[in-house]
Amino acid sequence: MKPAFFGLFCLLLICLVLAPAGAVQDAGNAAAAQVTVSQVSLDPGVFFEGDMGVITVEVINNGVQSVAIRRATMYDTDISVISSSYETTTTLGAGNRMTFSFTVRADVPPGLYYPSFSLDFRDAGYLRYPVQLRVENNPLEVSILDKPDVYGSGRKDRIDIMVGNPRANPVSSVIIHFRGEALDPTPSSYFIGTLDPGQARKLSFNITPEKETILNIVAEYKNGINARSATVSLPVRFGESKRQADLILSNIVIVHKDGSYSLTGDVTNVGLEVANSVVLSAGAGTEPVNPYREYVVGSLQPDDFSSFEITFLAEDSSPIEVVMKYRDMDGNPFSRSTPVTMPQKSTGREDASGIAAPVIAVILLSSALIGGAIWYSWKKR
Amino acid sequence: MKRILPDLLISPDSFFSARMKEPQDLKIPGIIVIIGAVIAAVGSYLISGIYAGMFAAAGGEGMATLMGVVGGISAFFGFIIVWWLIFAGIFYLLSMVFSGNGTFRRTLEHVGYGLVPVIIGSCLSLLVSLSYLPMIEIPVITNIQDPAAIQRMMSLILEDPAYLEFTRVTSLISVIFLAWSANLWIFGIRHARALTVKSALVVVLVPVVLYSIAVLALAFGVITFPGGFT
Repeated sequence: MKPAFFGLFCLLLICLVLAPAGAVQDAGNAAAAQVTVSQVSLDPGVFFEGDMGVITVEVINNGVQSVAIRRATMYDTDISVISSSYETTTTLGAGNRMTFSFTVRADVPPGLYYPSFSLDFRDAGYLRYPVQLRVENNPLEVSILDKPDVYGSGRKDRIDIMVGNPRANPVSSVIIHFRGEALDPTPSSYFIGTLDPGQARKLSFNITPEKETILNIVAEYKNGINARSATVSLPVRFGESKRQADLILSNIVIVHKDGSYSLTGDVTNVGLEVANSVVLSAGAGTEPVNPYREYVVGSLQPDDFSSFEITFLAEDSSPIEVVMKYRDMDGNPFSRSTPVTMPQKSTGREDASGIAAPVIAVILLSSALIGGAIWYSWKKR
Repeated sequence: MKRILPDLLISPDSFFSARMKEPQDLKIPGIIVIIGAVIAAVGSYLISGIYAGMFAAAGGEGMATLMGVVGGISAFFGFIIVWWLIFAGIFYLLSMVFSGNGTFRRTLEHVGYGLVPVIIGSCLSLLVSLSYLPMIEIPVITNIQDPAAIQRMMSLILEDPAYLEFTRVTSLISVIFLAWSANLWIFGIRHARALTVKSALVVVLVPVVLYSIAVLALAFGVITFPGGFT
């Protein structure tokens, strides 16, 4: 065989051998081209800095041939991929879907990140798909809608709050806790559940503080599998409310009669809230006696007044106290004492300034008559 | 009785002179003294009302009534004992200094007659007290176990202007009418104990003046009771 023919023969042989292989390669590429990413989901939808989450990628084979998959992986320079790659060779049948999940941790500052999903085919190249991952650090917002200006020891006060979700993803298992020393909150906690993005929930609760303290309103929730919380602190300071009922006494008249004192006057509500169950009684330095040991006024609207009378014993003219007890709309008890100065015992003392003229006349007349009688008796002797 | 009073009050000398001719009889003087004792008891009951009211809160109404009754009974027997028995006894004893001669029974009889002006004065004082007592402010003691509180309350009453004026007016009336009684007693003792007029004057006026001075001194605060009461 001449060398030229031999060379031609070899070339032909190579073509015969390689031609089927090339045909197979082309067929593989065509099939792999039909594999696409059909769905990507992130849990949580938006990460906090430091959150751990799951990225799930679903691929679909839109072709009519099966595609052999050798490896599926996720990688990024900023986002940490905790879970392992899918290293097992498998086949994605025609029209089938396959899901790949990767656990990641976002130890990165807030921003947008694009970790890449890579799917390597056995008979073709690979599929690359960048997944958008958002990192935001805005927590749930707890707002105080209404609260008392001041609090009172043992007084039940209501506080209204609103819990809103400013994030772009829903948060779940939202529970509001009310924490503080000697506050006796009612309810002790409040379960909200899931808060969708942009959603807010208004809720009310009561506290009955026994001492001045700090009320911490803690919103605990889950962002994906990550437990998070947001706290708002509210100082609880005792004092008098600017709106609360305020009772004052006026037109006080004290009369001493039959061994006891009778105190009459008017009680006026100069506050801005109604005073319920108003009861007046004599306080320290006195001993209440019948018929008006206590005087029940009842309910007093703002700017309303009522007359009252109480009877009591007092040993001397030292100042006494008139005790006013009442309740607000929530039934919280209030007590207020007003000192009242006992008047000088006027009746006898004022009227007895100097001997009355008739009495002087009687004395002088008696003296004259008796003097005359004595003179006459001695004269006649 | 109709003639007795004018004779007694205007002409005591002739009245007691006439009585000496009669047998000793304590019936009419006894009636006079009983009337005086009753008036004194009524007056004391009214004044006891002040203190009863003060203790009413601590001791109740029963205690107030009890105080009034005890005060009335005390005044009743006190009048008989002081004004009749003691004064007659003093006159009798003093007259012994002047060699007085006569029975104690006769002295009692004449002293009893001589109490008529005192009784008239008591009636007048009673009327005066009816106008003054309502003006007296009565403090209330809530704790009867506290001696300091009682002392303080008593002082309040005794310092009450109405009470002070009442005491002074009644003391003046008492002394004025006692002077009239003393005039009667001078003649009564003179006849009962057969004394001279001068001796009878001394016998009667010494205790009466001393008593009057004591009454006026107490009423006008010149001397004080033990314990600080004026």
